[in-house]
This record gives sequence, structure tokens and C-alpha cells, in this order.
Amino acid sequence: MLPDDEDDKRLMALIAEGDDDALRLLVHRHHARLVGYLRGEVGSQATAEELAMEVFIRLHRAAARWRPEAKLSTYLIHIAHNLVLNEWRRRGRKPTTALEFAAEPGDTSQQSARRVAELDEAFHRAIAQLPPEQRTAILLIVQQELPYEDIAVIMGVPVSSVKTWIHRARARLRELLKDFHGN
Amino acid sequence: MNNPERPSFDQELAASLSRGRAVAVPGFADRVVDAVRGERRRRVIVRWSSVATAAAACLVAILTLAFPSEASLNRQTLALVARDESSQFADLLGVADDLSLLSPAVDKPSVVDVLNASGS
Repeated sequence: MLPDDEDDKRLMALIAEGDDDALRLLVHRHHARLVGYLRGEVGSQATAEELAMEVFIRLHRAAARWRPEAKLSTYLIHIAHNLVLNEWRRRGRKPTTALEFAAEPGDTSQQSARRVAELDEAFHRAIAQLPPEQRTAILLIVQQELPYEDIAVIMGVPVSSVKTWIHRARARLRELLKDFHGN
Repeated sequence: MNNPERPSFDQELAASLSRGRAVAVPGFADRVVDAVRGERRRRVIVRWSSVATAAAACLVAILTLAFPSEASLNRQTLALVARDESSQFADLLGVADDLSLLSPAVDKPSVVDVLNASGS
């Protein structure tokens, strides 16, 4: 069985020939992380799904021209980031306010689950208040665990800019959450 | 001083964000395939509509040139006649010009002379 990256190339070649089953498989493999990233950016599950749909439609249109120079997962985030930029322009670069996060507690005890849910809610509200560039950078490095170089390519900026934004984002989040976290 | 048992801010941030890293949506892949198929159908319809429109325009142009309407023929005939009349008129004027050059100059009688002649 091929590793995912190699299998993605095989699926993209099939999609370029009009194979809908290959498209279905590729979407099934990648949509969860894409929706997770987009929900972190726009703060709405419904909007995240709409944008994710648009990402895959654009991927399908570009399938014949796609060259596997980067991982497909990174390429998908790149398209998603461009759509997020369009969404910000449409909203006038206002921070997201309607958050619909349903926290998934990792602990079975009731008190611990409540604490985790509150923490997640607090973090996501704070992230929504970050400037767009800082929000994207912190999501890509912490949530998606992408390397600095990939983030720089996705955002179209030097690595130094990415590091600066991440540093500022962490500082700002600490400030916003100092009462909650208590440090 | 940080409590060694309590996770740091960065650890809690990472843990919180990682819980939202992947959000699986049941049926999402089928929705994408449906949307792509819909787009493919629309592209085919648009393409064939363009071909049909162009073919219809060519057919109309061919029929119009090969079989002009009666109104069009009448207009063309009148235009020819008008051209012919105006060229005949122009010929007449040209002859009149020639005649005016040849005829002697005639003094026009004055009104007084005319009245005296009729009175006597």
C-alpha cells in the first residue's frame, strides 16, 4: 500500500481523467483537517464546510494542471487560505464573533470535561480576536503542525514574517487569557 | 513560578487546538462529487448552447442573403429608380444650363411700361 503522499499523486492523475471515485476517496482522506483549519479561521462550521467544498471543486478544476511539487495537503491549505482571504475582504477584515465550537473533552470525569470545554471556548474566542495573519500563522503551526517553510509558502511571505506573527500571536493570546489561565 | 504539574500555556494551547485539528463531516465526500458532477453538466449545457446559437446565426445569415424579402426587393427597386430619375434630372439641368448660355439676353419690361402699353 502506497504512503498517502504517493497515493495522492495517483488519485490526482485519475481525477484529471474524470474518475469520480478517486475524487471521493481523496476528499474522504483530506476533508477533516481542511474543515478543522477553516473552522479555526472563520469560526463557523457551516462556513467552513462551504469553503472546504469550494477548495475541492477548485482542486478538481485544476487536476489536469497540478504538479506534485508539494504535498497535496499543503496545497489544499494554500487554496483554503486564499478563500479565507476573500472571506475576510467580504467581511471587512472583522474578527469572527459567532463561534460554534463544540469542545471535545479528552477526559471522562465531569469536572475535567467542563474545564476542557471552557478552556477550548476561551482559546477559540481569543484566537478569533487575533489579526488575520497572526491567526492563520498560529493555526497552521500549532493546530496543523506544519513546518515554518510550508506556512511561508502558503501565506506568500518570508519565514521571518511567519515567525514574527507566531511570536506576536502567542504573546497576544497570553495577554487575552491571563485571567483564565492564571499564569 | 509555574506549577510543574500544571501544563504550560503553550501546552494547553496546543492541546486545545489539536482537539479541533480534524473535523470529520459525514457524507461530505458525496456532496463534493455531486457538486462536481453538477458543474460538469452545466459546462456541457453551456457549450452546446453556444454551438447551437452560432449555428442558428449562420443559418439566418445564409437564408437572408439567398432569399431576400419582398420588402427588401421593393426598397432596392425604389432606390434604383430614384438613382435613375436623379441622373435624368441632372441631365436636364445640364441641357438647361447649356441653353441659357446660348439664348440672348432679354430685357425684362418695367412695370410702368406694361401698364402704359395695356392702357393705350
